[in-house]
Amino acid sequence: MYIKDLYAISPQKTHDLSFENGDWKVLNEYIYKAIEPSYQDLIPNAQLRRMGKAVRMGMGVSLPLLGRNPKPDGIIFGTANGGLEDCIKFLNQIVEYNEGTLTPTNFVQSTPNALAGQIALLSENMSYNVTHVNGSLAFESALLDASLFFDEHAKEEKRLLLGAVEEISDYNYNIDRLGERFKKELVSNEELLDSETGGSYCGEGSTQFYLSNNPENSLAKFTAFKQSSHLFHDEIAEFVMRFLEEQNLTASDIDCLLLGRNGDVTTDSWYQKVEQLFGEKPTVYFKKSVGEYRTVSAFASYLAVRLLNGQAHYLIENGATVKPRTILIYNHFDAVRHSLILIQK
Amino acid sequence: MTTNREELIVEFKEHLIKYLNLLDLAPADIQNDVPLFGEELGLDSIDSVELIVLLDREYGIKIKNPTEGRQILVDVNTIVDYIIANRTK
Repeated sequence: MYIKDLYAISPQKTHDLSFENGDWKVLNEYIYKAIEPSYQDLIPNAQLRRMGKAVRMGMGVSLPLLGRNPKPDGIIFGTANGGLEDCIKFLNQIVEYNEGTLTPTNFVQSTPNALAGQIALLSENMSYNVTHVNGSLAFESALLDASLFFDEHAKEEKRLLLGAVEEISDYNYNIDRLGERFKKELVSNEELLDSETGGSYCGEGSTQFYLSNNPENSLAKFTAFKQSSHLFHDEIAEFVMRFLEEQNLTASDIDCLLLGRNGDVTTDSWYQKVEQLFGEKPTVYFKKSVGEYRTVSAFASYLAVRLLNGQAHYLIENGATVKPRTILIYNHFDAVRHSLILIQK
Repeated sequence: MTTNREELIVEFKEHLIKYLNLLDLAPADIQNDVPLFGEELGLDSIDSVELIVLLDREYGIKIKNPTEGRQILVDVNTIVDYIIANRTK
């Protein structure tokens, strides 16, 4: 799967590529909110006023991508929660109005596939359209679907819009915070990995890729990926090494690691186990930039493509001068759902 | 409960802005006699359902007949006149 184009809205200034060029935002906040561009020129006002943040961010990423590329043969998305804020509003209305007359907008906007559907409507795209909602492996599931799509159409040139979106809902954030998923004390994202406490900080954003099975003029390729939801702590090293073996690679073939360390002392040891396999390898800890959310591996993939194309090298620890051609992403959520993504130039 | 027609018009417009998320508008920006479903505000069929919910929740009015609805949901004047004549709260 070749990546022809990509774009992201995130808690960093990815919307105008400042982040890629060295403008790293220091965050001293409990919630890493996405920095959104103006949508006025992209989305008609009549639609924009109804959109929840997830749909708005997703449209804000997809419309520029679709504007500069041919119409794709499919739209595949991954999201754990979709328009969560609208979902909570809708559920609260059911209680507040005693299951009486309910407004349609919150319901329409809260379904996880609202984004992929709206993209299809606005871009008049009636092709394959699927949204995966497999929790913190939703993006990986979308990636698998895209891979199967290209396998099925191997004899002809095909193009896909692949993406992920997640928004922060105040209601759910508070529940997750009570569940100790997020930190109760404030630490700057510069010092996130040294915080020595449990939990992390909540992020959000939308990341999308324009893919093709034609390698011509591609920025990079998704070479392989693997996921697991049933690993013990002492199995992670074997999981990683077996994945590399399946690709006929060894640890020395990896030029740069992208790790999902998030400053949670209860689960960061998984990343340390993986780091030990690679020695002093150039590494990027991508959650220092965007925080923790369930489809953050899409952002990691975005960052990998930027690194492979000579951007954002200031983020690399142990080797900012390296020019990576093979990048391995390892991420887990709650130490339960693990994913590996191999991206190459 | 607002009974003065002018006050009711302002109150209804505030509800309209809130329910339809017309956040870039103020009540004074909405003309009383301009069709809601036309060029001016650009409302659509989903907005008509939102308006029906508004009338039910805020004024206790249930519109069940689509033909009747088309005669009521024309502009601010027609809606406010209907509220005055039919409100239950």
